[in-house]
Amino acid sequence: MALDDIPRLGCGRSIDSIWATTDRPPTAHEERCEQCQTARTQLERLSEATRALRESDLHNPALEPRHGIKNAIMDVARAEVRRGSRILLRSADNGSTEISEQALSSLVRFAAAAVPGVHSRRCRIEIRPASAGPAGEDPPPGTTGTATTAGPRLIVNLRVAAAPGIDIPLMAEALRHEISNAIPAGVGIGAGTVNITVEDLYDV
Amino acid sequence: MSDPPLQGTIITSQLIASLATRTTLETPGVLRLEPTVQGFLARIGPAALRHLRNPGSQNGTYRTDGVTATISDGTARVHLDIATDITYAALDVAEKVQQRVRESISHTGLTPGTIDITILAIEHHRGTTIT
Repeated sequence: MALDDIPRLGCGRSIDSIWATTDRPPTAHEERCEQCQTARTQLERLSEATRALRESDLHNPALEPRHGIKNAIMDVARAEVRRGSRILLRSADNGSTEISEQALSSLVRFAAAAVPGVHSRRCRIEIRPASAGPAGEDPPPGTTGTATTAGPRLIVNLRVAAAPGIDIPLMAEALRHEISNAIPAGVGIGAGTVNITVEDLYDV
Repeated sequence: MSDPPLQGTIITSQLIASLATRTTLETPGVLRLEPTVQGFLARIGPAALRHLRNPGSQNGTYRTDGVTATISDGTARVHLDIATDITYAALDVAEKVQQRVRESISHTGLTPGTIDITILAIEHHRGTTIT
């Protein structure tokens, strides 16, 4: 039988369990148990000391990272976000090509920025298998080749805020036009369906 | 007169990664390779990083910013994370990169395996204006 290596008080409670709850009010057992009360008092002091050290490090100019390092960390962080959700564009025996949803979203936002009186908000992109598309639509370009699988059909869902007084149907049509041109030009696949939701008006 | 001695060359995964990096960055439409945590650590402390990763070898994987190169049984596989210029079709850029990297690998004597590409960003090249 394995030995229990966790340090325990005489009452049977582990130090770890008390440490984990020092920020909460004492339990009924801790209010009665002297050993728990002593441990809690000491751990609260330790907790306060570590908090003070953390706070001191946070404001210590000597521990500030160099500007270049901060930028590099932010570049890595942004790249990690982009790595999140990906869409397969093309798959062949000798390699595949994927695109991040973030890259597509930014392309949609660039396109939307060309339409006056619109502020882009949330943009989500879904993928629909090519076979599920409406009848009569051409398959997206860039999917030819003997060992190449069909490319995705995109469903772009863009939420926007519009300027007051703007002709919303016209604006939506202009947005759809810009996005439908930008995706084939910037990526090389069809834009698929572009859904636009005007969810708010903004003050000019 | 005796024949000159044969020259042997060791192609490591680190060399393939370096070759793929150069080839990719020279392809029109590629803005950069996307940074990784490992690449960042390599820049701030190469010595410390050596403890964390397997150095490039003839049978192994080497990772650096945006590139992962693997050599296995004489075949080199590469994965690239790239950012492309918005004025180019990203899929065409990726195809060109795949083709060029494949050619570069074949010049080393190794067999090119899969060249996988992930487009992580599509942006305007610095200096161009957003219209």
